[in-house]
Amino acid sequence: MNLLADALASGTVTTGEAVTFWILAPIALGGAIGMVLARSAVHSALLLACTMLSLGVLYMLQSGPFIGFVQIIVYTGAIMMLFLFVIMLVGRDSRDSLLETLRGQRLAAIGLGIGMALLLCTGLARGIGSVTAVGLDEANANGNVQGIAADLFTKYVFAFEVTSALLITAAVGAMLLAHVERRKGDRPGQKELSRLRFRKGNYPGPKAGPGVFATSDSVATPALLPDGTESERSISPVVPVRELTPAEAAPKGTDGGKRK
Amino acid sequence: MTTMVSADTLDISFPEVDYLALAPLLIVFGAACVGILLEAFLPRTRRYSAQLVLSVVGLVAALVTIVMNVGEDRPAFAMSDGSRVDAIVIDGPGLFLMGAIVAMGVIAVLLIAERRVSAGGAFVAHAAVAADSKADAAQARHPGATEVFPLTMFAIGGMMLFCVAGDLLTMFIALEAFSLPLYLLCGLARRRRLLSQEAAMKYFLLGAFASAFFIYGVALLYGYAGSVQLVDINAAIAASGNSQVLLLSGLAMLAVGLLFKAAAVPFHVWTPDVYTGAPTPVTALMAACTKVAAIGGLLRVFNVAFGNSGNPGGPSLAWDWRPILIAIAIATMVIGAILAVTQTDIKRLLAYSSIANAGYLLVGVIALGQALGATLFYLVAYGFTVLAAFAVVTLVRDSQGEATHLSRWAGLAKRSPRFAVIFTLLMLAFAGIPLTSGFAAKFAVFSSALEAGQTSLVIVGVLSSVILAFPYLKVVVLLWLSQPVEDAPAVSMPGFMTGTAVTVGVVFTVLLGLAPQVLLNIVDGAGQFLAK
Amino acid sequence: MTPTYYLVLAAALFTIGAVGVLVRRNAIVVFMCVELMLNAANLTLVTFSRINGTLDGQIMSFFVMVVAAAEVVIGLAIIMSIYRSRRSASVDDANLLKY
Repeated sequence: MNLLADALASGTVTTGEAVTFWILAPIALGGAIGMVLARSAVHSALLLACTMLSLGVLYMLQSGPFIGFVQIIVYTGAIMMLFLFVIMLVGRDSRDSLLETLRGQRLAAIGLGIGMALLLCTGLARGIGSVTAVGLDEANANGNVQGIAADLFTKYVFAFEVTSALLITAAVGAMLLAHVERRKGDRPGQKELSRLRFRKGNYPGPKAGPGVFATSDSVATPALLPDGTESERSISPVVPVRELTPAEAAPKGTDGGKRK
Repeated sequence: MTTMVSADTLDISFPEVDYLALAPLLIVFGAACVGILLEAFLPRTRRYSAQLVLSVVGLVAALVTIVMNVGEDRPAFAMSDGSRVDAIVIDGPGLFLMGAIVAMGVIAVLLIAERRVSAGGAFVAHAAVAADSKADAAQARHPGATEVFPLTMFAIGGMMLFCVAGDLLTMFIALEAFSLPLYLLCGLARRRRLLSQEAAMKYFLLGAFASAFFIYGVALLYGYAGSVQLVDINAAIAASGNSQVLLLSGLAMLAVGLLFKAAAVPFHVWTPDVYTGAPTPVTALMAACTKVAAIGGLLRVFNVAFGNSGNPGGPSLAWDWRPILIAIAIATMVIGAILAVTQTDIKRLLAYSSIANAGYLLVGVIALGQALGATLFYLVAYGFTVLAAFAVVTLVRDSQGEATHLSRWAGLAKRSPRFAVIFTLLMLAFAGIPLTSGFAAKFAVFSSALEAGQTSLVIVGVLSSVILAFPYLKVVVLLWLSQPVEDAPAVSMPGFMTGTAVTVGVVFTVLLGLAPQVLLNIVDGAGQFLAK
Repeated sequence: MTPTYYLVLAAALFTIGAVGVLVRRNAIVVFMCVELMLNAANLTLVTFSRINGTLDGQIMSFFVMVVAAAEVVIGLAIIMSIYRSRRSASVDDANLLKY
C-alpha cells in the first residue's frame, strides 16, 4: 500500500535514497543556477519548473508523499504554468538588458550571495552535522495525509481558515487588475467598422495571401502584386522575411511553359 | 508493512474554541467576506454606501468585542488533550494593539471613502484599463472602485491577527493576509497611475522577497526548537541541545522579514517610493496601521520568544540580538532623520519621518518589557497624528490633483490660515515639541529605555529627533513666511469624512500631549505579553 | 549521508534565489527567484519535519504553497497591469520599470 513512504520513511538514509538524492540535487541546483543565468524568461521558467519537480521527489523521499504530490501538481503544474502563461502574454521577447543601473551592484550581490551561501552551508553542516533523524514512521503511522489532517484541523485550524482570506484577496485582485469590463457602446459597430475600412489611405480590399504569384509557397515570402512589386502587407509582421538561398530561388520546373 | 488506516478510525477532536476571544478577528474578516458578496450582488450605484456602512459598522463592532475581552489573558484555542495551542493569544498588549489598529482603521476607511474632495475619490474606477489610454481618460468621470473596502478590511484583519498570533506560522499567514491587499491597494490610484502601479510592483517584489526571508527563518527556528510556537521556542533556548547556528540564523532571517514591514534601515528602501506612489489614503493606512502591526509583531516575537519579559527568570537571548538591533535602530533613526532633511515632496518627507519613527519604536523594542507600555503609547500617538497629516495632504490640490511638492505649499497660510494652523500643530507634534503627543510619546519611550539601561540609544535618539525637527519646522516656516507661488494650489474644504479624520487626529495629538496619563494608565494596565 | 545534505542543498537554493532577485532586472524573473527562495524554505521545512519526527514542517510547507499561489496571482496581475500601461503609454518609458 504505502510502499513509497514505507520503504523510505525511516530516519536513516538508505543507499537508494542517497543515490536518488545525488541524482536530483545536481539537477535542482543546476536548474536554479540556470534560471538566474538564462537570458530568456521562458527558459528561466522551465528551468525553475525542473528544480521544482526534483524538489517534489525529494519531499517524497523524506516521507512526505502528500506534500511531494502537492508540490508537483500545485506548484509545478499550476503556479509555474501561470508564470509561463503570463510570460507568453507579456514579454516573451523582452530580454533582460545587461546594463547595470547601479554600478557594481551585480558584483556586490554575487559576492554577498557567495558569502551567505558559505556561511549558511558551513553553519548548517557543522551545526547539525551527522544528525540522526527521528523519522516520520510514528507520525505517519495512520498515513501521511491523515497525520497532516489531524494537525491541520486542530493546531493550525485558524491559519487554515485565514488562508481563505488570502485566496479571496487573490481572486478579487486578479479581477480588479486584469478584467476589463466592456460596455455595449465600447465595441465598434458595423458602421464604424466599414468607415474605418474605407477611410483615406486604407486599401479596402482583402489583403493578398502570402505566396500568391510568388516563386515560393513559404508564408515568409511576400506576395507579388500584379505590377510585380512585393506586397509587405501580405506577410505577418511577426514573420521575418527570409532570404532565399540560390538553390531555393532557382526555378523548380513547376511553372510549366515559362521555363527556358 | 503498514497499511492505510481508513479515515473513520482517525480520531481528530476539534479544539475548544473561545469565540469571544476570536470575535474581533471573525467580525473583521466576516465583514470583508460580506463586502465581497455585496460587490457581486449589489448594483454599481448602491455599492459605495453599503460598503462604507458595512466597513465602519464591522470595525466598530470589532472594537466593542475587543473591549469586552479586556482583562482576560488566554489562548483562544484549548486542545481537548490538554496540549497547548498558541495559534491566537489574547493578552493585554495584543488586545491593545488590535484596538489601536481597528480605531485607526476606522479613520483610514473614512479617508479611503472620501469622495467630496476630488470627484470620484482617490481610487481608479477600472484598474484594468491601461493607464493614459483613451479609455483611461473616459473613465475619469466614473466613481472609484468599491472593491477597495473589502480589501482594506482584509488588510486590517490580517494586521490584527499579526499582533495576536502566538505561533510563527499563523504570523506568516497573517503577514501575507495584510500584505497582499496592501500591494493591490497601492496600485489603484486615480491619478498618476503609472507611478502608482510602479509603487505596487516595487512593494510587491520587495515584500515577497522579505517574506521569503521570514519563512526561511521560521523553517530554521522550527529545526531548532521542533515547534514554531513562540513559547516553545523560548523554552528551547534553555533546553534544546541543537546547534545555536540554527537559532541565530533563524532569528536573523525572521527579523529581516519583520523589520522590512516596520521600514527599518537597511530594509527601508521601498518606503519613500511606495508612500509617494500609493493613493494618499492608503499611505495613511500603511503609515498608521501597518506600523502598529509590524512593531506589534516585533514586540511579541522579541518579548515572548527571544526575551523573557513575560516570563521573568525564563531563558532570554537578548544578549545575542541586542547589539545588532541597536545598530539597526541607530541607523534607522539617523538615516531616516538625515534623509528627511533633503526632501522636497511632502509625502516623501513623511515617508522618511516614518522611517525615523520606526527607529524610535525599535528603541522601545530593544528595551523589552520595561518599555512595552511606552512603545504602545508611541504607536497610538504617532498613528493618529500621521493619519491627520496625510488627511491634510489630500486637501491641498491643484488642477493636477494633490500638490505634494513642497514648493507649491509656500505661503499657504495666507490663503487658508485654519489649515495652516492644523498642519503646523501636526508638524510640531512630529518634531516632539512639548504639550503635543509627539513629545509625550518620545519622552515615555526614551525614559523607559533609560531605565532599561540603553543610555547610548537614547542619546542617539534625542540627537536624531533634533535633526528630524528641522524638516518639520522648515515646512512650518514655508507655510507661514514664504511668498505664495503664482498658481498656488487651493486647500479644499474637507468633506465630513476627511474632516472627521483631521479632527480626531488633532484632538488625539493635543489630548495625549496635555494629559498623556489617561492613555499611559491604559497601556500600563495592559501588562505584559502572555508568555507562559 | 545524513539529512543535513538536504539542508545544505536548500541553503544553496535559497542563496541562489536571493542573488537572482538582486541581479535580475525583469520583474517576472525576479519574482521567479522569490519562488525559488520559498521552495528552498519548503525543503528545509520538510527535512526538519523528518529530523524532528513531527509533521508540523510538512504542514507549514503546505501553507507556504497556498500563500505562494495567492502571491503569484496578485504579483502577476500587478505585472500584467503595468505591462498594459507601459505598452500603450508614451509618457514614461522603460526606466520606470527597472526599479
